[in-house]
Amino acid sequence: MIAASPFVSYLINGLTIGSFLALVALGYTMVYGIIRLINFAHGDLFMVGAFLGWTVLNVVASRLPIALSVLMALLVAMALTGALGTVISRMVYQPLLRAPRLSILIAALAVSLGLQNGVLLLYGPVPKTYPHVLPASGLSLAGVRVSYPQLGMFLLSLLLMGALYLFVHRTAVGTAMRALAMDQDAARLMGINVERHIMLAFFLGSLLAAAAGVMEGLYYTQISFFMGFLIGLRAFTAAVLGGIGNIPGAMVAGFLIGLLQSFSAGYLSAQWTDVFVFVVLILVLVVKPTGLFGERVVERM
Amino acid sequence: MSRRRETALVLTGPRVGRPLAALRRHSLALLLLAALLFPLVADPYALDVGITVLTFAMLGIGLNIVVGYAGLLDLGYAAFFAIGAYTSALLSLHLHVGFWEGLPLCILAAAVSGAIIGYPTLRLRSDYLAIVTLGFGEIVRITATNLTGLTGGPNGLYGLPVPKIGHFELTSQRSLYLLGFAFLLVSLGFSWALFHSRLGRAWNSVREDETAAEAAGIPTVRVKLLAYVLGAVVAGLAGPFFAARFGAIDPTSFTFLQSVTILTVVVVGGMGSLPGMLVGAVVVQGLPELLRAVARWRLLAFAFALVLLMQFRPQGLWPVPHVRRDPFAGLPEEPDAQATPAAAPQGEVLLHVHGLVKRFGGVAAVDQASFEVRRGEILSIIGPNGAGKTTVFNCVTGLIRSNRGEVRLAGRSLRRLRPHQVVSLGMARTFQGIRLFKGMSVYENVMVGAYPTQLGGLWRGITHLHLRRETDLRNRLHARRWLRFVGLEDKAARLASELAYGEQRRLEIARALASEPQLLLLDEPGAGTNPSEKNDLMELIRRARGEGVTVLLIEHDMRLVMGISDRVVVMDQGRILTEGTPAEVQRDERVIEAYLGREDESGWEIEEEVATRPS
Amino acid sequence: MWRARRLIGSCALLMAIALAVAACGGGGGGGTSGGGSIKIGVPGPLSGDYASAGTDIVNGAKLAAQDVNAKGGALGKKIEIVTADDACDAQTAAQAAQKLLSSGVVAVAGGYCSAASLPELTAFHRRGLPFVMDASTNPKLTEMGFKEAFRDIGRDDEQGPFAAKFVAGFLKAKKVAVINDNTTYSKGLAVSTVDALKKAGVNVVFDQAITPGQQDYTPTLTKVISSNPDVVYYTGYFTEAGLLVKQARQLGYRNTFMGGDATNDPTLLKTGGPAANDMVITTAPLAQFLSGTESFVSAYEKQFGHGPGPYSVYEYDAVQVVAKAIQAAGSTDSAKLIDSLRGTRHSGLTGDISFDAKGDRAGVTYITITVRNEKFEAYKKLDDSGKWVDATAA
Repeated sequence: MIAASPFVSYLINGLTIGSFLALVALGYTMVYGIIRLINFAHGDLFMVGAFLGWTVLNVVASRLPIALSVLMALLVAMALTGALGTVISRMVYQPLLRAPRLSILIAALAVSLGLQNGVLLLYGPVPKTYPHVLPASGLSLAGVRVSYPQLGMFLLSLLLMGALYLFVHRTAVGTAMRALAMDQDAARLMGINVERHIMLAFFLGSLLAAAAGVMEGLYYTQISFFMGFLIGLRAFTAAVLGGIGNIPGAMVAGFLIGLLQSFSAGYLSAQWTDVFVFVVLILVLVVKPTGLFGERVVERM
Repeated sequence: MSRRRETALVLTGPRVGRPLAALRRHSLALLLLAALLFPLVADPYALDVGITVLTFAMLGIGLNIVVGYAGLLDLGYAAFFAIGAYTSALLSLHLHVGFWEGLPLCILAAAVSGAIIGYPTLRLRSDYLAIVTLGFGEIVRITATNLTGLTGGPNGLYGLPVPKIGHFELTSQRSLYLLGFAFLLVSLGFSWALFHSRLGRAWNSVREDETAAEAAGIPTVRVKLLAYVLGAVVAGLAGPFFAARFGAIDPTSFTFLQSVTILTVVVVGGMGSLPGMLVGAVVVQGLPELLRAVARWRLLAFAFALVLLMQFRPQGLWPVPHVRRDPFAGLPEEPDAQATPAAAPQGEVLLHVHGLVKRFGGVAAVDQASFEVRRGEILSIIGPNGAGKTTVFNCVTGLIRSNRGEVRLAGRSLRRLRPHQVVSLGMARTFQGIRLFKGMSVYENVMVGAYPTQLGGLWRGITHLHLRRETDLRNRLHARRWLRFVGLEDKAARLASELAYGEQRRLEIARALASEPQLLLLDEPGAGTNPSEKNDLMELIRRARGEGVTVLLIEHDMRLVMGISDRVVVMDQGRILTEGTPAEVQRDERVIEAYLGREDESGWEIEEEVATRPS
Repeated sequence: MWRARRLIGSCALLMAIALAVAACGGGGGGGTSGGGSIKIGVPGPLSGDYASAGTDIVNGAKLAAQDVNAKGGALGKKIEIVTADDACDAQTAAQAAQKLLSSGVVAVAGGYCSAASLPELTAFHRRGLPFVMDASTNPKLTEMGFKEAFRDIGRDDEQGPFAAKFVAGFLKAKKVAVINDNTTYSKGLAVSTVDALKKAGVNVVFDQAITPGQQDYTPTLTKVISSNPDVVYYTGYFTEAGLLVKQARQLGYRNTFMGGDATNDPTLLKTGGPAANDMVITTAPLAQFLSGTESFVSAYEKQFGHGPGPYSVYEYDAVQVVAKAIQAAGSTDSAKLIDSLRGTRHSGLTGDISFDAKGDRAGVTYITITVRNEKFEAYKKLDDSGKWVDATAA
């Protein structure tokens, strides 16, 4: 039900959209923080996760209870996509870390193209539909109906993000990753296995992207091989807006962009949404050149 | 990874043997010849692909100016392409302006949009810059899609008239190809001229190390903006060609993917390399066509090929070779034109610093510092680590903004001036950790320093083409003079990264001297040098003074300081402790305490150095 | 060390290959075909967002060729289908067209995106080859005066008024929201519909676009629904339509949801689920609602493993029409073929096909279909007297 004033509706919509954006943005920001790469293939890992989840669901949904099949789909997709991301980082990106920076960027683009077309060839061009397993019921919040799946997506994404944050800030491995992001050579000298931690960063980022992909499939029920492009672009924008390399920044900015999308579509026009988002981004960067939460890099002269 | 390293990889192509070197030098000519003869052997399909290749080669050349020369990661280059194309289409459809008549306007429109898009990115770090340019690209495309009344919306504009040369209509594939080829030649010439100009050198230096470039006198903001504008100009040429070729344009030709494709052309070909742009376009546009043979696997195969290419040849297929030509070969000897500098009144105040304050957070790195440097003297600033010496340098040169205080050079206030403006007023500096342009040659490094003295300016460069040789001669003489001064003349063709540490220091000094400063600031020039190098350094500084350059230096080595300084200023914890002649200062109780109060090795040397100092 | 020779060598080799293959790629070019087969070109998106539509069209062409060849082919030779991927992009399309021309096709039947068909048509026009379009509905394709242009599908500026008639005349709606996706086809249909609606005195409360690929359209739908329209008409493609109808229903929208002909596709049903029920779609008649298409549908399913999409049947007819024209002309000469095509009287799967002076299909009919129990069903059509009657398969 839409409330008399749609403001709350837009708010809820925005937070829902933002849940997915934030999860995907995290992957961008983590990988960038560690190796300064804008991983253009990240949005497509989101897509791969969605397809893997679909495949699993197709196999088990008829045999197992719904909750269990969904869980399986989520875990398998996350694990496999995480592995894929790690393999890609090891085979494609790591050899290029000492090469000119643009070369690795183009390699990432090529991987993106490859993933899209690979899925196209494997699954065919027709969009796939997830089984409609999520309930449509919900509850009323400030006069607006919020469905349980909506709430679930929001909470799940917060949960995953929180888990990542704790991992990065409270565990030894996570701290090692952060050290690496600050100064790779110094970290190496401290005995940190740089290569392995880089792969870990990719693993975690891909994991989150796959989770978002399966969630997207479950919630919207339609997946297609080109679905990674737009969300990848927007999530990347969110990562930059929050200060690229900054994990909490990516989370906040992801929700922010979701809200911007929602409000601009509601009060202005959906055809100008992207323009609006980019204008906001540019204005923010003019005032704060390193993003909302980005650290100012102090150069020692 | 350091940008210098990357550039070295890019610039240092294969070192070729003699016969192949000749091939290399003429590679561009050969490629162009092949392209010109292509229509003779090609069927319409191949010609069509060829036209696409030409278009993308042009676009690659344009983006190369932004990315390859200036090092600005532009992910939205398609915006300029779109503006060029739409301007041409709108002019011919609504105002009935002919293709040729409209061309200057299209170029102008693209150039203006280059300035508009470039301006907000100027303060941004490279990856933030990338997203902003991406954003602009999307904004242009979406605006074109939405403003149906103006741009035809998603349908775009169609029914564009065919361009004519005289009465000859350019409808056939062959004629379009030749038109594209002509445009390509123009773009190539334009780009080549830019690269070999003062601006091109400035771009190189900005790409290598922007801060150092700014401190060496390059107006980095203006230079970066010009990169966008001039890069856009090429797109302003490619856009109308594209529109004329199809007779119709629509927003789907100007997507982010298109920008990315153009970037791929640049990277695959080899950043900064003009023949590379042709090669890159052939691969990026030609390869998918070739792969039509594998039908459904076409794009997957292409992606795979691209990954492999980046793995095995990350510097691109045809990177810029590093030419090791001696820049001073055949250069005549100047008659002894070492004109003694105009008898400037010695002893007058050259640099006046008063009440300088700089706080970082709650810490006052510089606290009410006041001192003067008199013309013709050598003044040293000494003090324990953390005393604020380098911060003073940074404030005085404009690299960081002081909170308060007055700084005057020959009476001119330096407050709020950018570093390059300070350089053009006559104050140059070196850095504590040497900041050379490692990927550039010794000669090129000095040339960058000479920027403020060189006659330049874009307009002048174009209108005074006939003076090019003269200007070039003058520049080389100037560079040789200063390289000779520091004893690096014979190493002029070497890469800066190949020099020994001491030589690098001297090169940095040569670069600073090349701007013909009144005042030279040296930040720890003796750091890391051995005693014999230190002696050479002292000699060098004295000779610089002989050339009329006043010297202000920061040093830790007491022997050096006491050996050459006329006066010494002592700083401690951001404040000026005392000043005076070397003899006075080293006897000062407070100074000794300041040094001995810390575990500072140099503090011990004071007494020793005094004893061993040659009188 | 530095592999100088390999650099030069590999570059030269690459260029040589590119040039050689490109140059030798087609040899003579179009117009006549040697050998034992007659080639018909089929351009379409085989990669990118619309790959499923392109593949569907190619499948229809293949079936048609098979059926023609089973009956002896044309002029005693077999029909061979030559495909080319245009990726729904102008540049790729221009090159695809050239590729077809240099592979020796005598005629072309196919195409999907109007944005790609335009440069393709231009290329074929320059060579004089006929192009029978099966799915490109943008009016300007037949308005440019190219005698090579034919299409066996209707035009957006015909579907629009039809939709408006339905909305105003049958549904008797007072407030209508029209949503498009900012692509050539969708915008064209939206414009034509909105114009017709306004002429009919209907209040158009929303006329804007969404961004396809976004998945979540709830903000826009919230805005649309808050102005309380009687009908929401989406003129874009099926990928978004399924999401839109589902999200609209989730937001509590209870009135009629309609779609244009690009929304009719089984994927819509799968995504929309129960939410798709009672949706109404304006379309040229679907395969399954045409009499005599059962064998086509089952043959398609047998060969390709899934049901036919909306345009494969039009492509089937297009290829058949071309083959028939070749036979009637007695040669593959382009000029003769065009004349022969112009006089086409063919009873195809999609009905009786003939072309008017511009190349448009004469007597195009649209019908409305609806979704019941998550399946497409024929709904209403206009009979000759302008009344709305049931459109069950005749």
